[in-house]
Amino acid sequence: MSEELIQIETPFAFNEENQREFDELIGRYPIKEAAMLPTLHLAQRQAGYITPAVMKYVAEQLEVTVMKVKDVVTFYPMFFEEPVGEYVIRVCHTLPCALRDCKVVLDHLKAKLDTDIASETNLAKGTTADGKFTLMKVECLASCDVAPVIMVNDDLYKNLTPEKVDELLAKLAS
Amino acid sequence: MIKKIEERRILYEHLDVPDINTFDVFRQYDGYTRFEKAIAEYQPDDIAKMVMDSGLKGRGGAGFSTGLKWSFVPKDIKPCYLCCNADESEPGTFSNRYVLEKNPHLLIEGILICCYAMGIETTYIYIRGEFTLGKKMLDAAIKEAYEKGYLGKDIRGTGLNVDIYSHPGAGAYICGEETGLIESLEGKRGQPRNKPPFPAVEGVFMKPTVVQNVETLCNLPFIVGNGVEWYTQMGPTYADTRSDPPTPDPNTGTKLYCISGDVNEPGVYELDLGLTCTELIEVAGGLRGEEVKAVIPGGSSAPILTHYELDTRLDFTSLTLAKSMLGSGGIIVMNETRNIVDCLLNIMKFYAHESCGQCTPCRWGTPWVRDIVQRIADGNGRKDTITRPKFGVAENGRWGDTGETEDIYEDLDLLESVANNIANVDTMTWNTICVFGIAVSWPAVSYLRKFRPEFEAAIREGKLVTLPVAEATVPPEENYAYQQRFIPKEFADL
Ligand SMILES: Cc1cc2nc3c(=O)[nH]c(=O)nc-3n(C[C@H](O)[C@H](O)[C@H](O)COP(=O)(O)O)c2cc1C
Ligand code: SF4
Ligand code: FES
Repeated sequence: MSEELIQIETPFAFNEENQREFDELIGRYPIKEAAMLPTLHLAQRQAGYITPAVMKYVAEQLEVTVMKVKDVVTFYPMFFEEPVGEYVIRVCHTLPCALRDCKVVLDHLKAKLDTDIASETNLAKGTTADGKFTLMKVECLASCDVAPVIMVNDDLYKNLTPEKVDELLAKLAS
Repeated sequence: MIKKIEERRILYEHLDVPDINTFDVFRQYDGYTRFEKAIAEYQPDDIAKMVMDSGLKGRGGAGFSTGLKWSFVPKDIKPCYLCCNADESEPGTFSNRYVLEKNPHLLIEGILICCYAMGIETTYIYIRGEFTLGKKMLDAAIKEAYEKGYLGKDIRGTGLNVDIYSHPGAGAYICGEETGLIESLEGKRGQPRNKPPFPAVEGVFMKPTVVQNVETLCNLPFIVGNGVEWYTQMGPTYADTRSDPPTPDPNTGTKLYCISGDVNEPGVYELDLGLTCTELIEVAGGLRGEEVKAVIPGGSSAPILTHYELDTRLDFTSLTLAKSMLGSGGIIVMNETRNIVDCLLNIMKFYAHESCGQCTPCRWGTPWVRDIVQRIADGNGRKDTITRPKFGVAENGRWGDTGETEDIYEDLDLLESVANNIANVDTMTWNTICVFGIAVSWPAVSYLRKFRPEFEAAIREGKLVTLPVAEATVPPEENYAYQQRFIPKEFADL
């Protein structure tokens, strides 16, 4: 990552509340680097996604190289390196959900939102034109008893049917 | 006639009590009294001995004796850490989630007992990134426990110090593997470490570390509270006949069985270890459909069971001897309408996505297996135009040329060979750093060997064909995969 690239990004710093949370976090571990995942979660919550500026900032805070932060960000599916919609819809498609027709739910969402499914390297593909929704497939969400399930941002929705999806989308759109 | 099986709720007993997630309500239901009993009546070593005697086996996947694991931890290296594995991501498993969301104080009490027994002062709960509600409830409970003086410095005036921190993951399955978890906790990519050294000797921050699943830790309050004798009455104790005289092989306690797929009432059922597949399906409201085609007994990594094997008892020993495993206790049931090739494809997509990419056999082999299954499912599976002599049990009763010929399904041979080269299921040897490798080849090879007709049909017909159960399943007498199956004897019967 060149200096130039970092320069054209808006710089990033924790806001007051997150700074407080970060200060508390860092005290939990004998080495600073260990706070990597919680810190990145915090930063992503504030910035929306992990920009090079965020990586640079996190690297400075944790006293590691930017490359190390990048290394971690690329490993974990929950960190986004591209902008995502206001609502991230994660559709579980592993076996127990597949046995309960998650495909119907997924296809319905695709048609309703008129978008493709995001891939880890191309989130824009699954984001609606108005930037409101990002649709992605995820692996088992550990709720197979209430399959098929989806997660919208932090909330889990159970036993879905196309009708329930319609209701949910209407609620989110308003 | 199947006898009526009652749930025995111990860990889940108060799960549905309103507000059990708060300290005060938890306290009304004996909360923290077992921890108090532990510090008042027992020395740390007594607790460790009780856990050893209880026969408690880890509920996270490996089924390794908890007491034995604790005994490997060197006493003279401090600090020592406890990592609670709340990364629950094995497909088909969802029991830890309910503990975290509804009864987090029970986990804290279990952790306190473990910390007291092992002289541990710091615990990290590695909680799956997607468990936002669970983390919220857990954090609130931890905060409350600090306020009430059950966590922090000098707990209840005993001089005991315990800190608990929750640590969120970020969506990688492999961080459930204990050394992957440790790497991830240290702020790196969750790539498993070579073993030895085992975490018990050198784990997080290069210090001795006990890694324990949520359910395992939740058993501790009850072992301490009700005693070893009470605990060992639940579940079978088998005789390990490898030694002479046979030694007891306990499968004690209850298990939070997670059952999903084609049953009428999927959910978590807490039952004594050792009931059979048929019984469990009955408990879960019966089969949805006409006939059981297959059962995955321990999360998607476990080798599949056919309808011939439904009498297998769902405990650690019986399933290991049936060449499968209890794993995480996630049971997935499939009825006659399911296509096994399609199911395998789904699972292989999961593994191809989740391989951490450190070891070449796993990094390349897993997507390769997925692609072969995809090809077969798409109807492009390869079959040779020539035939070959069929090997099997010949007329003289020995393994040899049977005099018949068989078709050569190139892709099926390839599938088995690639899978077995990630980890060999027959010799149980592997060329990978962690056992993710065997978690890939176990399903791949077992599905293929036990449901071969369905794979062959897909290749022959050029599309997915769902055969009737009887036709789709290879009968036990013809199948190498079943032949080593062995049913254990209970110790008491000897
Ligand atoms: C690929 C892989 C994934 C695993 N995932 C989990 C998991 O999600 N949760 C868990 O508790 N154990 C998981 N395990 C098992 C852990 O490695 C470890 O055995 C367990 O946490 C030990 O705790 P226990 O003895 O209490 O079961 C996994 C193992 C492997 C190889
Ligand atoms: S076996 Fe697979 S998951 Fe395990 S360390 Fe090797 S590459 Fe990673
Ligand atoms: S498979 Fe969808 S929640 Fe487990």
